[in-house]
Amino acid sequence: MSPTPDPPESNPKSAEPTDPSLSGALGQDTEGNFPHSGMRTDRGRLARWFTIRDEPGGLERFLFGIACILLVLLIWHILTRGEGEARLVDPYTLPSLKKAFGSFHELWFDRALMRGAIASLTRVLAGFLLAAAIAIPIGVIAGCFPRFHAFLRPLSIFGRNTPIAALIPLTLIWFGLGEVQKVMFIFLAAVAFIFFDTTMSVRSVPGNYLDTAYTLGARSSWKKGLRRAFYFGLAYALLAAFGLQWLSDPPTLTFVEVVDDAPPPPAFITQAPFWIHAAIGLLVGTLLWLPVQSHQAISKVLFPLALPNIVNSLRLLFGLAFGYIMLAEVINAEFGLGKIIIMSQRIGPREHIYLCLMVIALIAFAIDRLILVIQRRAFPYVSHGH
Amino acid sequence: MATDPTSPPVVEFRSVTKTYAAGTRRAFTAIKDVTFRVDDLHEHGEFVSILGPSGCGKSTILRLIAGLLPQHPPTSGEVLMRGKPVTHPGPDRGMVFQDYSSFTNRSVLDNVAFGLECDGMPKKERYALARDWIGRVGLDPDKDLHKYPHELSGGMRQRVAIARTLILKPRIILMDEPFGALDPVTRQQMQDLLVGLWRELEATVFFVTHDVSEAVYLGDRVLILSNSPGTILTEEAVPPPDRPSREMRREPDFVNRVFEISSLLEKLEEAAQHS
Repeated sequence: MSPTPDPPESNPKSAEPTDPSLSGALGQDTEGNFPHSGMRTDRGRLARWFTIRDEPGGLERFLFGIACILLVLLIWHILTRGEGEARLVDPYTLPSLKKAFGSFHELWFDRALMRGAIASLTRVLAGFLLAAAIAIPIGVIAGCFPRFHAFLRPLSIFGRNTPIAALIPLTLIWFGLGEVQKVMFIFLAAVAFIFFDTTMSVRSVPGNYLDTAYTLGARSSWKKGLRRAFYFGLAYALLAAFGLQWLSDPPTLTFVEVVDDAPPPPAFITQAPFWIHAAIGLLVGTLLWLPVQSHQAISKVLFPLALPNIVNSLRLLFGLAFGYIMLAEVINAEFGLGKIIIMSQRIGPREHIYLCLMVIALIAFAIDRLILVIQRRAFPYVSHGH
Repeated sequence: MATDPTSPPVVEFRSVTKTYAAGTRRAFTAIKDVTFRVDDLHEHGEFVSILGPSGCGKSTILRLIAGLLPQHPPTSGEVLMRGKPVTHPGPDRGMVFQDYSSFTNRSVLDNVAFGLECDGMPKKERYALARDWIGRVGLDPDKDLHKYPHELSGGMRQRVAIARTLILKPRIILMDEPFGALDPVTRQQMQDLLVGLWRELEATVFFVTHDVSEAVYLGDRVLILSNSPGTILTEEAVPPPDRPSREMRREPDFVNRVFEISSLLEKLEEAAQHS
């Protein structure tokens, strides 16, 4: 992309905004063009930097971001320059830039970075999906029926105010040491927040939409609702059956197998637990969505109008959940990014910790952007922030 | 059936009182002892304008007819529609609100077709009908069809609101200051549009407004409410809007009528401030 040739030019040393040499280099003059003068036409670029809420273009925003990254790397470089006594920070505390990035090859191949990242991501996805599948319909119902909300509020307050880290010992007792514990930890961490945000999104839909819907003939029919809720139930059945199947297998092994060989024969489909799980999923999904689908005022008005806000809060909460999985993995895991970090701290090389942190940030950012793109596509009628 | 002299009135209020938070210290009576009836007229519905000082419970009356919470149910008295008490809102009583209430997640087409969709009409039929109505309220059936409400001006949004209400052919149309947020020119255009559409429909219209000339121009009858708690003070029959708004507003008769009612309202407002 275009910014690649730029870094040598925008040397962080001269990136000081008041540096006159920079404004000269950009061909701008700042004379009399400061915002205080009230002249809004023909201002210099530097003067615009000091104008409150003056929005830069996309490229300019991007360059400022790059400048920050370069500045951090420069400080890192300065701190770890030289050898022995001349070095500002000893190599034990902070490895040099070159060493850190040089160890990437080892991290990728010996430590199986990719496999770890996928393991972590799948755990969050599974736990988060489970939390959303349960908390969204309940949240919508609570957002529509204040008495039901009043009933659930104690649980919601308790869930949102319990320190997440304090749940780890309990989940270890309840769910053992395997995958189920990680998934349930994410579920417990996220469910109350998703419930709360969903409820608030539905409650904040203005009342005049509801009045309008009623005067246009929105009605309730449990029979029609049951049919539509049944489709949700089918989706839940699929998720429950295959999800629990996946949980009972070590997921990282299946991942490798699927890539290398032909897909394994789905022997589990003939087994009873698979169908029991599917039946439970069908029942739960149908019951949860029945009240929502039975009222046109909810299924056609309140829920669709609240949906953009719900998805937006899911995007923000997913970022948090991705952070929590590290917590669970650092304490006990066989695979995952958290495991790589704790191993690097215990047996080295410590350079991997820094690389892992960067990878985590990059993955979280990529997911955030991905959901944002989907949001823009799905809800073209809502304005989204950057 | 409208010819039947024994047919019950379209809407009847029998000494209706609405008190919010009754029995507490915050108790507030919005309307008190309101009684009126609007008869089922032969061949065309009646256009009833409702005027009154601000906060006198004009909207309360409309929402009681619509059966909307929290105005419904009344604290005492009866609200009857064609002889039967109003129990819940329904598509036979369409309502157009002052605030833009087009569903922001639906295109113009889907907004207008909303009521038909709720009724279970197949997609093809309801879209054909909606297209027709979009044209009738003066929107472009080709260009505006797939726009979302945020892409429309205030006047266009109210056109959508009128189209989606009238498409259901309601017996009663309730309008709560529908043109209150529009500029004067758009407002007059909308008034003429409304008069044109209403003629074809044979619906009884209740039209709440602050604008005296709007009430006199549109109405067959003007109900004037006193200050809070609102009661019906007087009822005046006014000539129907059989000419375009621009012409009618210049006639001396019309100007006098507006002047009389305005001064009556001013007195009421003053009385409200002194009490």
